[in-house]
Amino acid sequence: MSDLSLSQRGGRRLDVEGVWKSYGSQPFVVRDVSFALEPGEFLTLLGPSGSGKTTILMLIAGFETLSRGKIRVDGRDIAGQPPEQRNFGIVFQGYALFPHMSVLDNVAFPLRMKGVGMRERLRQAGEMLEKVGLDGLGSRRPHELSGGQQQRVALARALVFEPDALLLDEPLGALDRKLREQLQIEIKELQRRVGVSVLLVTHDQDEAMMMSDRIAVMSQGEVIQIGSPADVYLHPATPFVAGFLGETNLLPGTCCGLEGDHVVIRFHNGELGRARIPRFGGRPANGDAVLASIRPERIRMLKPDEGADFFIEGKIVSRTFLGRHTRYVINADSQLVVASTTDCSESTTLAPGTPVRLGWLSEDAQSLADKHPRRPSKVVQPKPAKA
Amino acid sequence: MALSDAAQTRPHAGLGRILLFAACMPVLVLLVLPSLIIVPMALTKGDLIQFPPIWISIHSFTDYLGDPAWVTSTALSFKVAVLAVAIGGFAGATAAIAMHGRVFRGRNFVAGLIMSPIVVPAIVLALGDYLLFAPFQLIGNWIALAVVHAMHVTPYVFIAVQTSLTVGLSTALLRSARSLGAGRLSVFRFVYWPAIRPGLLAGGVLGFAVSFDDVVLSLFLQGPNTVTLPVRMFTAIEYDLTPKIAASASIFIALAVLGLAVHSLGARGRTAP
Repeated sequence: MSDLSLSQRGGRRLDVEGVWKSYGSQPFVVRDVSFALEPGEFLTLLGPSGSGKTTILMLIAGFETLSRGKIRVDGRDIAGQPPEQRNFGIVFQGYALFPHMSVLDNVAFPLRMKGVGMRERLRQAGEMLEKVGLDGLGSRRPHELSGGQQQRVALARALVFEPDALLLDEPLGALDRKLREQLQIEIKELQRRVGVSVLLVTHDQDEAMMMSDRIAVMSQGEVIQIGSPADVYLHPATPFVAGFLGETNLLPGTCCGLEGDHVVIRFHNGELGRARIPRFGGRPANGDAVLASIRPERIRMLKPDEGADFFIEGKIVSRTFLGRHTRYVINADSQLVVASTTDCSESTTLAPGTPVRLGWLSEDAQSLADKHPRRPSKVVQPKPAKA
Repeated sequence: MALSDAAQTRPHAGLGRILLFAACMPVLVLLVLPSLIIVPMALTKGDLIQFPPIWISIHSFTDYLGDPAWVTSTALSFKVAVLAVAIGGFAGATAAIAMHGRVFRGRNFVAGLIMSPIVVPAIVLALGDYLLFAPFQLIGNWIALAVVHAMHVTPYVFIAVQTSLTVGLSTALLRSARSLGAGRLSVFRFVYWPAIRPGLLAGGVLGFAVSFDDVVLSLFLQGPNTVTLPVRMFTAIEYDLTPKIAASASIFIALAVLGLAVHSLGARGRTAP
């Protein structure tokens, strides 16, 4: 069903296959990255700075050359094409509008480069400006517009020539939070109307969750996990993914066997608990070091008569009121555990030093392999080329 | 703490202002007075340049404009300056573009080489050029003179264009133009050209003044038919002290003032919405 609705949308299929990138003799900044951007899909490369996500975008755009691998549009290899012959609409971090051109001329520029006549290109640019809600501002210079308006001009310019895909490089980084959230909704809405596939690069997990059909979480030049926002949030493949998308508690323990969908874990304090078998990544074996990942909002501070699948005792270290929720840090068996609660009434607020009992359901604990989430940073050679 | 300090210095602001004025005024006077003193000297009745002048006549102006030697020198100075700015502008701008954002071995050396005509004493350059051109019978050739002037113009244009590239050009801008389908020519026309234009203009004006002003190089490379205006003024001061010197100088002060006025009016027009 979803396949049908996807194929009806515009845009082309973009395949990134086994892509590697290094500069000279330096370690690889992109390591064996593969993913597909389906027509009409919104895919986000999410990762901390230096994880190689912008490099991937520049490789696709043609500003960097591949060390190894293939990039295809609708099955056609585009490696040999210079950027001006590729057909991607790119929005750069600082928008990169032409300062000496009017807004309308900026938007008409790609059409002009394609040899579209003056009258026709101005008409199309005008229509595009209308679509991004900037009709009437066409005669202004970019510097006369607000940051959010410049952002929309950049979007209009990147969309007006019907690109194969829209590539967004941290497009909202320079804007304040409120405007950012508003533009996230607008871009999503615009994408739905225009029907273009979008590849977004960001380090902002909220932005990724809010906008994406799928998220590819990156670290150290590799894609660690790729999946829907719910998949990567609820079923992280590694402790890194669990920690990077939202906050999580990682309790170390040892696997003592499997029971149905759950791993039985002996925690370091000797207690036995259960956590879901990871949906992505391998099943742990007896004796393996594992981590139980429990989101702060899934940890409950139990009343005396309340029960849970698993509980630990501790003392409140600090309390932070955050409006939508209150965040507690609890010291339980010399491990700090974060719990958040939406119950903000004053009568239930607990002061630091108060002993509490924390509990959670086995359903809400996710077991993860306890390896160091980051690989040791040594030089990794690409796989030998296939003949 | 810092705030109260600032508040305490405020009552002295009046005194500070007076001190600043007292320090600046002599400098301003020194900058402007030589230019202003020339104008009354051009209005003298006498046949010698002198101060105070003998009031009042415009015969020095009519003499200047009526003397073919002086008019030829003036035309030559213009001709040389225009060609020098054309050559130096091209060389300086292309060098700045080529070196923009590029890191290579010997970059500082190349930049130093381009800047060297400003640093090396003019007399050294003049002697070198004289010895270089003499065997080729190029002394007294106005194009050769323009080429030598161009060497002096180049660093000014180079610096100015470099600055405007730093301000007006970014990798993102270049990349976005290319991603929108712009080839090399279009990238130059729509990205580089608008970015270098202010620098080219400023460097060109400065370079024109440098060339038009030059005495040392022009003195060494002059021939019977290639005496630039400054050289003619210089020799006139040595030999006959004619008030034509003051007359020609006054005309160029007027031109400079006019140029500045037009420029500032233009700048005002640009900043107004």
